[in-house]
Amino acid sequence: MKNVLVAGGGLGGTIVANRIAQKLSNEIENGEASVTVFDKSDMHFYQPGFLLVSMGAMEPQDTQIMERSVLDRRVKFLSGDSGSITKIDADNRSLTTADGKSHGYDQLVLSTGSHLQFDEIPGFAAGADTFFNLEKAKEMWQKVRSFEGGKIVVDTAMMPHKCPVAPLEITLMLDDYFRKKGIRDKVQIDYCYPVPGVFGIPNVNKMMTKIFAERGINVHSQFALASVDTSARKITSKEGESVDYDLLVSIPPHKGAQVIGDSGLGDRRNWVSTDKFTLLVKGHDDIHAMGDTTDIAISKAGSTADYESYVVSHNVAAEVAGTGGMKTYPGSVFCFIATGMDQATYIKFDYSHPPVPPTPSQVYWWSKLAYNKLYWSLHARTMI
Amino acid sequence: MTDLKLYKTIDATSENCAGPIGELSSALNDAYVGEAVAIILGDDATRDDILVWAKRTGNEVVENTSEEGRHRLVLKKVK
Ligand SMILES: Cc1cc2nc3c(=O)[nH]c(=O)nc-3n(C[C@H](O)[C@H](O)[C@H](O)COP(=O)(O)OP(=O)(O)OC[C@H]3O[C@@H](n4cnc5c(N)ncnc54)[C@H](O)[C@@H]3O)c2cc1C
Repeated sequence: MKNVLVAGGGLGGTIVANRIAQKLSNEIENGEASVTVFDKSDMHFYQPGFLLVSMGAMEPQDTQIMERSVLDRRVKFLSGDSGSITKIDADNRSLTTADGKSHGYDQLVLSTGSHLQFDEIPGFAAGADTFFNLEKAKEMWQKVRSFEGGKIVVDTAMMPHKCPVAPLEITLMLDDYFRKKGIRDKVQIDYCYPVPGVFGIPNVNKMMTKIFAERGINVHSQFALASVDTSARKITSKEGESVDYDLLVSIPPHKGAQVIGDSGLGDRRNWVSTDKFTLLVKGHDDIHAMGDTTDIAISKAGSTADYESYVVSHNVAAEVAGTGGMKTYPGSVFCFIATGMDQATYIKFDYSHPPVPPTPSQVYWWSKLAYNKLYWSLHARTMI
Repeated sequence: MTDLKLYKTIDATSENCAGPIGELSSALNDAYVGEAVAIILGDDATRDDILVWAKRTGNEVVENTSEEGRHRLVLKKVK
């Protein structure tokens, strides 16, 4: 019996486990292979929905579903203490869970994601609002809907963070929301970004800088967040600049999962050193990494994890079934970028082809919403 | 260069949302003072941007080499 273990049942882990189970259906049926997903939680969250929740454009309950219901029936699922991984022992090809049990593997997929660090920057936890988790997104919507005027600051604390386009999206959605409400003249919007420009890819930066200027959004960059002063209601950068706020909408610092650091598999921020083509963890031929977990200089996005799942599932199944033939990941990423409450554009690129975002339109906005709806029914279940 | 500890080497030859400066600033944030971060780049414009950025942020460029159209910069964290 060959054991395939998938660490993390979020977006990447769920999709890859379903794909592996489809490819190894005969082996699983014959008792020659098994696929098991481990997650702390028995709930699956669709994080892209949190952006829409924070702007009142999606119901909170529509962003979550029981993980078991989106997993292929052939995939085993462990959650709670049985699914919380406390240590990965790469030398002995095993992992330990919080219930004290040890699980051996032949192939391991790391998809433990990226995690928000509210305590890394002084004053941040007390002063910053965010839409990066569901509870905070719900709180943020209450503040946005009752905001009558003043200064909104959208601040990205540091790189890298998941959904790199999210700061652009929330800024342009806030702008449009207050325009439609008829009080945009009473709302000042400031955008603070830790690297020069408003985005890292040159032609997206160019397009968005123009849109920001047209919409009257003030840009402060480079602005690497140093502290949040909750009593004076101002943020200060490492560069020494200060910006006042009434509402601070932030993208918190991120780190890889704690278990990665505790197992000696990551760098100082718990990102896993991963080959950008094979998606194998460097120095290991039986551990694959995907999604937000890796240290690859690529977007931490659900679409990245999805594209990577084709490669990882193929390579894992080929190892288990002994068919050989490795696939490689060409760096594909696709992200919609909301540019208002009813319009969007998108970027699609890979390692060698830069994105060329089309002019924003309502068609892409409806595509973004349609994708969100299809996620549960088709995508996570890998029916498309 | 002999005593310099390299914390990380970043391959920034491909497209990426954080951009090379985003990746570099993040790695230098985690590096200890005295350590260095290397970055591999595929074009001249990005190399020039990083040289300007290094000066502005007070990170010391200790290596600036090119081979077969690829540039390698090594930046040392000094404060
Ligand atoms: C507000 C917001 C908007 C976004 N919008 C988009 C978008 O429009 N498009 C897009 O492509 N992406 C978007 N993303 C990014 C996307 O959600 C992530 O990139 C994606 O979820 C990454 O998948 P993953 O499997 O790597 O990690 P996750 O989906 O975060 O899953 C990681 C899982 O690992 C589990 N885990 C961690 N540690 C352990 C442990 N020790 N033991 C057991 N389980 C563990 C966690 O419980 C979690 O379920 C958005 C994200 C946010 C926050």
